Amino acid sequence: MFSWSLAVRNLKRRRLRTALTASGIVVGISMMFILLSLVSGMETQARSMVRALGGADITVSNSTSFRDRMGGGGFFGALPSPSTLDASIAETISGIPGVYAVSPQFSFSGSINSRRVTVYGIEPPLFEVVTGGLNIVEGRFLSENSYGEIVMGKALMEILNLTLGQTVSLSASQEEEERIFAVVGVFETGMIFQEYVGYISLADAQNITGEYGLVTQILVKCEDPSMVSDVASLISSTVPGVRVTTPTAAIQQASQMLNTLTMFFATIGLVALFAGSFGVTNTMIMSVTERTREIGVLKAIGAKNHDIMKIFLVESLLIGLIGGGVGVAVGSILAYAFPMLTSGLFAAGASPFGMRNPFSSAVNPELGGRATSPIMFATPAITPLNITICFSLGALVGILAGLYPAWRASRMKPVEALRHV
Amino acid sequence: MSKLIVRTIDLSKVYRRGKVNVPALNNVNLQVSSGEIVGIMGPSGSGKTTLLNIIGGLDKPTQGKIFVDGVDITSLNEKDLADYRLKKVGFIFQFYNLIPILTALENVEIPLALMGAPKDERRERALSLLRVVGLENRADHKPDELSGGEQQRVAIARALANNPSIVLADEPTGDLDSKSAMAFMKIVRDLNRRNNQTFIIVTHDPLVVEQCTKIYTIRDGRVESA
Ligand SMILES: Nc1ncnc2c1ncn2[C@@H]1O[C@H](COP(=O)(O)OP(=O)(O)O)[C@@H](O)[C@H]1O
Ligand SMILES: [Mg+2]
Repeated sequence: MFSWSLAVRNLKRRRLRTALTASGIVVGISMMFILLSLVSGMETQARSMVRALGGADITVSNSTSFRDRMGGGGFFGALPSPSTLDASIAETISGIPGVYAVSPQFSFSGSINSRRVTVYGIEPPLFEVVTGGLNIVEGRFLSENSYGEIVMGKALMEILNLTLGQTVSLSASQEEEERIFAVVGVFETGMIFQEYVGYISLADAQNITGEYGLVTQILVKCEDPSMVSDVASLISSTVPGVRVTTPTAAIQQASQMLNTLTMFFATIGLVALFAGSFGVTNTMIMSVTERTREIGVLKAIGAKNHDIMKIFLVESLLIGLIGGGVGVAVGSILAYAFPMLTSGLFAAGASPFGMRNPFSSAVNPELGGRATSPIMFATPAITPLNITICFSLGALVGILAGLYPAWRASRMKPVEALRHV
Repeated sequence: MSKLIVRTIDLSKVYRRGKVNVPALNNVNLQVSSGEIVGIMGPSGSGKTTLLNIIGGLDKPTQGKIFVDGVDITSLNEKDLADYRLKKVGFIFQFYNLIPILTALENVEIPLALMGAPKDERRERALSLLRVVGLENRADHKPDELSGGEQQRVAIARALANNPSIVLADEPTGDLDSKSAMAFMKIVRDLNRRNNQTFIIVTHDPLVVEQCTKIYTIRDGRVESA
């Protein structure tokens, strides 16, 4: 029918009114879009955080020097030598009821091809059981008796200009002797700074650092996720002098907070959309009134009620689509600008939305002090799904807001409409 | 004697204005044979428009029946009445009533689009209708780029789009100069002769009246033969 060309031309004829009406929708849609992008971004980051934290239920480390080391090191900078635990503690912990498996590891700040990175010494099979393993994208993970082999993060590979199968020289510190390792695998985490990391066998790590029989952390997997806090306190009371943390539990807590935040923004977005929809209804009522005579003419030449309804619904749908489209565009720009806008705040020590960055408490400094950054809080992900959702939401608001005016137009009596001047 | 196409039986219409009853039609018995050009005259407020609207299915009588091609249109529901307006009758108004944002061609296409005709087909038919009224070279002009006479010719083309058996015109030349009025009536006569289409024209215009095959006069809602 003519509905589309009629709608397009009528909207064009009243450009300013169309723009103003659509902008009411733009506000709501762009807010919803930023919100959805933030949530998507945080979800992705939370997921990779869990992976980065080893996916372990519980982390056990030496309790004495945690605070001393807090101030040291940056993301990529050198960490002071961490304090250690006796490897035999792993045996003790694995005997505690509720513990499914333990994975001892030795992490240290090493130098790969003269670049400071965090290196983990692990026992590959145990590590995989406890953490679910790494997301290997090239090559393979370490095998049970790996010797002189290393698995590195993709970002690190790129910055060092390495390809799979090449060798790297690794040392515990600048002064110490370098050893040659073959790169057998590359992993990805989705967060670049979590990829400036290498994994070697525990034996190799102890060899390089000379800390035989010692580990820096013991990762624990419980028989059931619901047992985590009970097992954690059992470990604290059974093994003296250890610090027990439950990183994934903290992340769950953080995402709880995110949910609250999401609800808050969603409410504001919906209120804005609701207000915008009133603008559409109002404009459409005006449009119907202005075109009363036209409605009469159309009915006189045979238009049925649903034909008239369609003409006006298409018009309000178009306003909704314009609002949705521009809203997504504006939202994308704002979402893109968001990290820049907020990084200033974070640098100044402020936290987003007046609350503590929920992730900072979730990050385990024992794991190399990565990921304490609030950056992850502020990296929205613009996904096709979010674009579709927001665009459709604009369309839906357009249709719903246009229903009443269109219905009124369709119910007009032809003679009366024709008499209208 | 050709067959009756419109027959009204004791047609009455009373408008209610607040508490006052305004009689517009009073026991009108009108018979129109197929192929006629009927002129309806009468002073302002005598009920001409009311009669035309009721015949055209735009309004309902307070009393009486009206048969068009044997069907009592007062018994039709809203949807069927719309269908009747779409397929059986064509409307021409005094002030043309073209849709201002559509071109001449698109205005003629509306009834065809309402019928669900495919785009190519309705374009072709609309163009040939514009050719009939001598406006094929104005097809892409908007109404405000056309003279009154030209707009009224577009309105004829639009009224004829679905090949209706009756065309109703309410003071169609009321706003036209005499040259345009004559051109209008020439088209009406040609169509009437060629397609045997029936015209019912409300008018005061002597130029129109002299082309009609039958004249009625309405006075105070009553039809009198001239
Ligand atoms: N919708 C209406 N409501 C009330 N009165 C009406 C309405 N339409 C017409 N009338 C009245 O009915 C009478 C006939 O009107 P109309 O048919 O328009 O006359 P004409 O077309 O001959 O000038 C007039 O008195 C007019 O005021
Ligand atoms: Mg009149």
